[in-house]
Amino acid sequence: MTTLYLRDRWFEDLPVGEFHVFGSHTFSELEIVEFAQTFDPRPESTDPEYARGNHSQGLVASPWLITAMWMRKMVDYMEVYAQGVNDGRRNGAGVAINDLHWFEPVRPGHTLTYTYEIIAKPDRVIREKWGLIRSRNEAFNQYSNKVMQFEIDILAERRPVTSNDA
Amino acid sequence: MTTPPFPNSTLCSDTIALDKNAIVAFAARFDPQPYHLDADAAAQSIFGGLCASGWHIAALATRLVSETLLSNGIPFVQMTSVSQLKWHQPTFVNEQISVRIALGAIEEESRIAGTHSQAIEVDVCNEDGAVVATMTATAAMARDPKRAVAS
Repeated sequence: MTTLYLRDRWFEDLPVGEFHVFGSHTFSELEIVEFAQTFDPRPESTDPEYARGNHSQGLVASPWLITAMWMRKMVDYMEVYAQGVNDGRRNGAGVAINDLHWFEPVRPGHTLTYTYEIIAKPDRVIREKWGLIRSRNEAFNQYSNKVMQFEIDILAERRPVTSNDA
Repeated sequence: MTTPPFPNSTLCSDTIALDKNAIVAFAARFDPQPYHLDADAAAQSIFGGLCASGWHIAALATRLVSETLLSNGIPFVQMTSVSQLKWHQPTFVNEQISVRIALGAIEEESRIAGTHSQAIEVDVCNEDGAVVATMTATAAMARDPKRAVAS
């Protein structure tokens, strides 16, 4: 029996219950402001002076920066440990997300830690070669408070029937 | 004195052209996978061509939602949850996207001070009218409509 490295696995090799703490990131004031200027230009996220005197009680990150950083940390992690990102064929595309919640503001200097757990493998075959991996993803701040969660369905390539390639 | 946030109304946004530089810049920062960065690699991928990160689409859609609601006097603050976000097809270089917004029921409770929650349905469309993504969300709306003017 050969050892399966994370990056060599197919859909069939991914177990429900697998859990990863896959990355963390400390958000700077500059990146919060720059992201918001492009995608979410409200003063609570772009103007520290305004935000200080506002209901937001200081600058807050756009919720979509928190999810975008989830993606970046996931890609970085997969490049090292998981399957297929570099060959552009076996890596999975996201199809849908469910139950995305942002619970608390993320502010300059906050550090989020992102986690991933496989919670289901819906019994579907998509375009003849892909399976679906459903994961629960969460982000916790430096106070151990959960600030974000969602579930995502990601395609994973099924093991070819005739292949010995593991 | 306050303008009600029009439950059951539908609004359409302006369009944004998604050029290659914008797609690649977002991907390089947040989603550096070959099909969002490199045209040749993308041609070999499941998408068949260079296309925007799904998170890029979600963020741009929210920007269009914000601008459209604010310009209609509806004091959108931010999304607080998204019960479902589906990407129906890739968004390729130079597609023009816009959003169609349907406002739903108003709820009292919101976790953000000075706001209430309102259900919101967002269709993200390209210039052919194809729906490339859909978002079923809850938005925080300011109780004081003047807050909408500040941004």
